[in-house]
Amino acid sequence: MQALEYFLIPWLDLKLLFLVAAGTFAGIYIGAIPGLSVTMAVSILIGFTFTWDVYPALCLMVGIFMGGVYGGSRTAILLNIPGAPAAIATAMDGYPLAQKGLAGEAIGIATVMSFVGGLIGIAVLAIAAPTVSEFALTFQPRDYMLLALLGILLVGSLSGESLIKGIFAGAMGLLIGTVGMDPLTAEERFTFGFTQLWGGISFIAVMIGMFGVSEALAQLHHIDKQAVKQKIGRIVPNWSSVRKYLPLSLQTSSIGVIIGALPGTGGDIAALMAYDHAKRVTKNPEVPFGQGAKEGLVAPETANNAAVGGAFIPMLTLGIPGDAVTAIMIGALFIHGLNPGPMLMIDQPQMFWFITGALMLANIFMLIFGLTGIRIFTKIVEMPRSVLIPLILLLSIVGSYAVNNSITDVYWMLAFGVLGYFMKTYGYQLGPVILGVILSRLLDDNWRRAILSENGSLAGLFKGILTSPLSLVLFTMVVLIFVSQTPVWRRLRRKAGIPATSHDQDTTGSGA
Amino acid sequence: MKNTFVKLAAAFAVTTGVMGGAAFAQDYPAKEIQGIIQWGAGGSTDTVMRTVTPHAEEVLGGTVVMKNMTGGVGAIATKFVYAQQPDGYTLLMGAENPLLYKVMGLGDVDYSEFIPINILARGVPILVANNDAPFDDFAGMVAHIQANPNTVKFGSTGPGGLASVVTAMLKSKTDLQVTEVPYDGDGPALTALQGGAIDVMPAVLGAAIEGIKGGRMKAISLVNDQPSEALPDLAALGQSNPEYADYLPWGPFFGVFVKNGTPDDVVAKLTEAYAAGAQNEDFVKLMTERGYIIESLSGQPAADFLNNWQSVTAWLIQDAGLAKVSPEDFGIPRP
Amino acid sequence: MHDKRKRSAGELGFNGLLFLGSLILLWNAYKISGFESLSSPGSLPMAVAFAMVVSSGLILLENFRTPDRDGTVFLRDILPPVIIVMMLFIAGYAVLLVPLGFLPTSFLFLFLSILYLQRGGLVFAVSVSLFALICVYVVFRVIFTVLMPAGIVPEGEILAAIGRFFGGAN
Repeated sequence: MQALEYFLIPWLDLKLLFLVAAGTFAGIYIGAIPGLSVTMAVSILIGFTFTWDVYPALCLMVGIFMGGVYGGSRTAILLNIPGAPAAIATAMDGYPLAQKGLAGEAIGIATVMSFVGGLIGIAVLAIAAPTVSEFALTFQPRDYMLLALLGILLVGSLSGESLIKGIFAGAMGLLIGTVGMDPLTAEERFTFGFTQLWGGISFIAVMIGMFGVSEALAQLHHIDKQAVKQKIGRIVPNWSSVRKYLPLSLQTSSIGVIIGALPGTGGDIAALMAYDHAKRVTKNPEVPFGQGAKEGLVAPETANNAAVGGAFIPMLTLGIPGDAVTAIMIGALFIHGLNPGPMLMIDQPQMFWFITGALMLANIFMLIFGLTGIRIFTKIVEMPRSVLIPLILLLSIVGSYAVNNSITDVYWMLAFGVLGYFMKTYGYQLGPVILGVILSRLLDDNWRRAILSENGSLAGLFKGILTSPLSLVLFTMVVLIFVSQTPVWRRLRRKAGIPATSHDQDTTGSGA
Repeated sequence: MKNTFVKLAAAFAVTTGVMGGAAFAQDYPAKEIQGIIQWGAGGSTDTVMRTVTPHAEEVLGGTVVMKNMTGGVGAIATKFVYAQQPDGYTLLMGAENPLLYKVMGLGDVDYSEFIPINILARGVPILVANNDAPFDDFAGMVAHIQANPNTVKFGSTGPGGLASVVTAMLKSKTDLQVTEVPYDGDGPALTALQGGAIDVMPAVLGAAIEGIKGGRMKAISLVNDQPSEALPDLAALGQSNPEYADYLPWGPFFGVFVKNGTPDDVVAKLTEAYAAGAQNEDFVKLMTERGYIIESLSGQPAADFLNNWQSVTAWLIQDAGLAKVSPEDFGIPRP
Repeated sequence: MHDKRKRSAGELGFNGLLFLGSLILLWNAYKISGFESLSSPGSLPMAVAFAMVVSSGLILLENFRTPDRDGTVFLRDILPPVIIVMMLFIAGYAVLLVPLGFLPTSFLFLFLSILYLQRGGLVFAVSVSLFALICVYVVFRVIFTVLMPAGIVPEGEILAAIGRFFGGAN
């Protein structure tokens, strides 16, 4: 009962209530603008709220976190430019919907499903936090490596018409991720003698270039074409369609919570994995994936918001950050005189329930603000392109600078924008590039850690995989998914008379 | 509205432009000061700087805008500040790493190009082990490692990081054959320690203390000349194993720097501000609770501290065979 | 992979460039640490660069095998003048940003590109660019304190002076 009392603190105090609302509102816009990130906003808030009490400060941060993860979907759907890495998968089916004039409906579904995902994430946090964090800790380097491999296999479902071009793009992304000074040995990789490259190429710069600038350039082809008029009849999806996607959203939310709870992986990977999962389990989508399948919207949006609750699990139970934002919040707790760590739950259980309560509140505000401001937002797409495109370009430049205060990042962003434009024009998908960049460090670091832990022996690594149940499960998944994507397997299935799954159909999917 | 704004701006531009040229230092700070933090948001350097700076701002009467500029073990941020005007409007907020750049082959720009405004605090290294490890103290650990060479996994944070220096220190006096597994920082390594991916981690006390108190990991030895108030029951290595005493105390530190050539009165003003910040009650309490030792050094004592630290550590690394370039080539004297 | 798609203008050249780039990167990856050990810093870069060479090689081969052109013209369908001009604008922005500073460069960029894309409408272009720039400045510079290169406009001093003017709260 004590727990409920703590849980309700932010709900009953008008000031805290307002701060959560304001944070969520701001978060939606921060998330929607590429280059403004939740990480950035929260670290600025540390200075801003320095003299405040810890409760109001946390309310604002929690609101921004929740709103920001969701806000990325807005620009992904409306402009094909994901506002945040966690919304990359959302663009794949959200933007085609907007092109059909269904932006309002797409945003409605994304909002409700983000709410559902957030709810499940918070529920798991409240009920099973200690269990989940113990589970997350059992992941060894080899398990992270297998997880990264699992992620890389998503290239198969992100490649569109040509798998080989997808493989090239994915490999390119992995390579971009290795540029700079190797964090494990301080060896320089692909720096060509430039110290500016020691820090590597910012992943956000690549993302903004590949999605923002290249999309803006591509849209110049239609500079004189009238923008698609958006029908805003129905925004709130009806109950029957919510119920229809409920089984899928439960699965994808689980993916989100687990990936979110693992230290070192966050909502971006969760959303992509959930998208792939949706493609795999949805037998007959009304519309093929990549052309506006609602399932392709439901999956990433539930997963990335579920990952928010997930990220708090190791943070609140053990003082271990689940992602970059919770890492900063740990710093914030420390600055406010608390000692985030395993003792926090025991010494100050009110913190745990307070944050859970604030998260729940932020989730509700996200639903409210998400469903109300859509009309104004969709006007963005109807703006004349001659204004919209220069604005997108300017925001891309400022945004990529802001990430690490680096002019070099701006140059990279522009270079990748031009490269991305040509790749798109010649039938390469850009999704796999970003996937590669996201997973590069995870794969590289953990592969090397895994092999170093076995004193360099590959046999030792395999022995480790085969003797640990968790590794074995992950390994089996990698093998199964790999085999199911190879052409031989598909031919076998067809011969056996098993009807084609969505995977076979998606070869016709266009990249828009 | 727009017009008035422009006019207002123009008027201010003229006045501040004139004042900025003529009477530079009296006005300092006439605009926001940039504080470039070498490490990422949420890390220990970041937390320390974001804690102390608001207190310093009160004395300074200006705003310090803190930005994280990560990469290259802090070398990117160091080079960035080095490339700015020495006008006191760009501060370098860093840790100990730049003092090892020369020997690690990461360029020639280290703290000798900067004026230390304040060496805020020093961390104490500690050896922690996974709860299931079959030893509870330093002697037990050494015996176990010597009985099972190359099976005990030590976490590290890359060459030149705290873990590698402490491991080198231990190896210099005792035969220890261990497998080193590198992590991105002590946070991820301590997480891996709790999950059993590594057995022992030399970390800074502040990062491990909550885990120890919560029973998630066990403390093996405090790598210091005397025990810490934060963990009074833990033996200090310098006392239990006197052969290490001449290395100790040793530890990572946090400091605020400006580029050489910054006007003296600006340096004086910043020094005053950060000294006040470092002595602020809240800051001291936060730091000592986490096992940090407040130094608050500036001027010559700070320079001596840096030189001594560099010579001890650079030669330790050189003797362990980790250095890419000998400290001798840079005229770093052997301690 | 067996699509009978025809070749677009410039496609062969672009894929050739990618192949060439991949080869260079593979050589660079090899130079990181050679075949030292499985856990060396160069192992993953070499593996992925190899994958890039093989896949881009296959793409190029496929390209050679489909000699049919699809009737696209490079300077009309792939890189029409409007895109070239915008790319030049962006390049100009990148070059001028540091010496000139954020505010003038951004204004110039917005103004010129809106003017060019709109084909006329001077007042419209000026007012839209000014408005947009003020919004971006307030959000990024004032709220998020991103310190963009100041260049010729001492906006930091101006901002601080305005802050003092309104009670020094800043």
